[in-house]
Amino acid sequence: MNSTLLSLTIAILFGIGTFLILRRDIVRVIIGLGIMSHAVNLLIVSTGVFEGKVPIITDDGGHGAAEATGTVFTDTLSQGVLAPVLEAGHHVDFVDPLVQALVLTAIVISLATTAFILILAYRIYEEYGTTDIRELRRLWG
Amino acid sequence: MPFVLAGILPAVEKLLKDKIGWYASAVAFLSLLLVAQAAPEIIHGETIQGSIEWLPSVGIDFSFYIDGLSVMFGFIVSGIGVIIMSYSNGYMSKKEDLPRYYQQLLFFMGSMLGMVFSANTIQLFIFWELTSVTSFMLIGYWRNRPMSVYGATKSMLITATGGLFMLAGFLVLHAITGTFDIPTIMHSESIKEMLHGHDLFLAALILIFIGAASKSAQGPFYIWLPNAMEAPTPVSAFLHSATMVKAGIYLVARIHPIFSGTDAWFIMVSGIGIFTMLLAGFLAFRQTDIKGILAYSTISQLAYLMTMYGYTTHHHPGIGVAAATFHLLNHATFKACLFLVAGIVAHETATRDITKMGGLRKEMPITFIVATIGALSMAGIPPLNGFLSKEMFYESSVEMGHLLGGPWSILIPALAVLGGVFTFAYSIKLIDGIFLGKRPSKGLPDHIHDPSMIMLAPAIFLAGLIILFGLVPSIPVHYFVGPTVSGILLEEAHLHVKLWHGITPSLIMTIVTFALGILTYTQYGKIADWQDRFNAKFPWISVNYYYDATVENAKNVTAKFSNRMQPGPVKTYVVALLLLVIAMFAIPAALLATSFIPQNLNFDVPLYESLIFLFMVVSALGAALLPRYIPAIISLSGLGYLVALLFIYLQAPDLALTQVLVETLSTIIFLLAIVKIPQKFREHIPASTLVRDLLISVTIASIVFIMLINATQGIVPPFESLSHYFIEKSLPLAGGHNIVNVIIVDFRGYDTLGEISVLCLAAFGVYNLIHSRGDDQ
Repeated sequence: MNSTLLSLTIAILFGIGTFLILRRDIVRVIIGLGIMSHAVNLLIVSTGVFEGKVPIITDDGGHGAAEATGTVFTDTLSQGVLAPVLEAGHHVDFVDPLVQALVLTAIVISLATTAFILILAYRIYEEYGTTDIRELRRLWG
Repeated sequence: MPFVLAGILPAVEKLLKDKIGWYASAVAFLSLLLVAQAAPEIIHGETIQGSIEWLPSVGIDFSFYIDGLSVMFGFIVSGIGVIIMSYSNGYMSKKEDLPRYYQQLLFFMGSMLGMVFSANTIQLFIFWELTSVTSFMLIGYWRNRPMSVYGATKSMLITATGGLFMLAGFLVLHAITGTFDIPTIMHSESIKEMLHGHDLFLAALILIFIGAASKSAQGPFYIWLPNAMEAPTPVSAFLHSATMVKAGIYLVARIHPIFSGTDAWFIMVSGIGIFTMLLAGFLAFRQTDIKGILAYSTISQLAYLMTMYGYTTHHHPGIGVAAATFHLLNHATFKACLFLVAGIVAHETATRDITKMGGLRKEMPITFIVATIGALSMAGIPPLNGFLSKEMFYESSVEMGHLLGGPWSILIPALAVLGGVFTFAYSIKLIDGIFLGKRPSKGLPDHIHDPSMIMLAPAIFLAGLIILFGLVPSIPVHYFVGPTVSGILLEEAHLHVKLWHGITPSLIMTIVTFALGILTYTQYGKIADWQDRFNAKFPWISVNYYYDATVENAKNVTAKFSNRMQPGPVKTYVVALLLLVIAMFAIPAALLATSFIPQNLNFDVPLYESLIFLFMVVSALGAALLPRYIPAIISLSGLGYLVALLFIYLQAPDLALTQVLVETLSTIIFLLAIVKIPQKFREHIPASTLVRDLLISVTIASIVFIMLINATQGIVPPFESLSHYFIEKSLPLAGGHNIVNVIIVDFRGYDTLGEISVLCLAAFGVYNLIHSRGDDQ
């Protein structure tokens, strides 16, 4: 269960990002993309939050992992089950690590794209002397 | 096989330089030998089959079927191929892009051979379309001539579309018979009977026949062939007279055992055939381009073949098939010969306009003799081979007319004679116009002479064949026509073709043809003038008119469409995209309206967290609204650090660390870039745009909000997260305590590799962007 305020915050960030990428100034568009990528990252992470602790295993004193999480993992093809099954009533100890891993990748990639677009905008300004998309359009004919 | 050798052609070109054409001829000759290797068995009436599993799931094998029909076509294709490629050595200038030319010729030859030996319909279709594509490239060989491009496009559009119809026909055939295999259908009486009684029989026949007619330029589809004459002349000789246009005839012959013997077959195949024969023969009068005359004559001659294959009704095969097959062979010889002559004449006189020529017999005696043999054979003068097959054509017409009885017994032979008359007239025109009469005082080069033997020898060879086939018809009949006819009729054929077989109706018809032909020829000019006047008066009575109009309209409509879809400013796309997102959400939302109302809201948040939320919104607003760049960017990076802080509360320490690092780095890059861009530009947003953008943004925000709220409230049936696998296996499999790290480097290592690649690419991009400035200055 997400907190409503968190959802509201993410939604507002989305709205602001959307508004910015509709602008004519390239720099504003880039800022908008930045805000939006923050919002998306938060969105993904927040969906993975269930009651639990940081996904770092601190205790491995002889216990089997399955025992530790209470998950029964059955992926035999003969039973047709390909995904692990969480039996009812079991409690999960950790928050979802997968979404975090995904977002980690996303954060780094958004850095790469931001850097690239920024330099692109900078070069466009050097070549054409403007950052107005409509003006650029006119210059290109 | 030709495909492979064509593929290595550019490499060979390096070695041989100008002699590349001989290599191509050698490849063609090799193919000829390969075909010949199969011939002995075929002559004894056997067939060869072989297959490799290709698409077993849909029952399509890569299979070959070799019988008399395919062997004869194989001989024509590779034999004429050898001749054409040798001839090209003299015709094509050394400055031309020869590797491309020969490569495409070989590709074409390979597709053609593949087609005639195909045993299943899908494979046949693929090779069929390959010949269309290679033909397209060869017609458009001179890419910068608008007429070449026009002709190439036209032929591509018509033949490829016809091919699609044919594919549809094959699919219908498959739906009826349950197999793609041609021999299976051909040899099974029960399947054929079922087919003939089936409701979809007519549909299959019509669809397949449209394919055949478009390829062979029959009926209304004839218009592409005259324009295809823009190709280099050897190409016209090869593709557009001897081989590719015969693909349609081949198809008709191939499906003959499957579809023939029905009324529909006769009416459609012979009907279209007779119609085209007369129309094209008549239209040939108006042409002044020698290749144009030959083009119309090809259409008309192909129509002969169609007509004859159509002369089979009610299980009475008749002599039509034999006549057609013999004429097919003869046509390949005399028409290729005439095209080669046309090429020679055009090459030497630098014009193709027949009105500018005349009296060349003294200057080009050998060419004159060769051309005369070819043209007289086409006109049907004994003792040349054209005479024999024309006699058979008349004979089969008489027989067909007799079978139908009533007025038909007069009408069909009469129409056949009329076709013959036209053929006679334009054949004579070719000789007379080019070689006889007086040499015009101007418009021709001063010194015209016979070309080198490279160009002359192939034409002489073909002329020799014409005479040989005419004098000793038993050779081609025994080795080619007989096996082919038995391949088509699926029974042993006994044919006897002789030069003289007494006074028969067909002989009388031939004599009538000559008489009327001479009469028509005296009126040649008048008829041509009348056609010109008629055409000028009624431009809309022409298929070309509709073709041009359609293509022009299609161009305009698509141009309008793409202008509408892609008007230019990126912003329009963004708006369209966002509206699409909104629509995608709005439709299900309207359907499930009630269930989207959030049920239990959770405002139970610690104060510090809500403070973070507040700050985030404020800094985002700051980034959006602060008028100057630098404060806005500081505000953006503030937002980034707040996100990092929030990640800690969301139990994601790794993310928080990464976020802090990345945010620092991106702020630095931002500032570095921004200090160079002075803020000159301030956007003044008009009120209407402001309202629209605000509306879009607010809608998007609400969508995200509602989605998030509902994500955990049972709209989506709960399913188990994959994460438990990782949680569980992290320690035993990877030996790592930090599950997120384990996922990144172990379980999803390729993902991370991809991520690193993206970073590298971006770095390269940035480097090159900055570097490009150095180049400019």
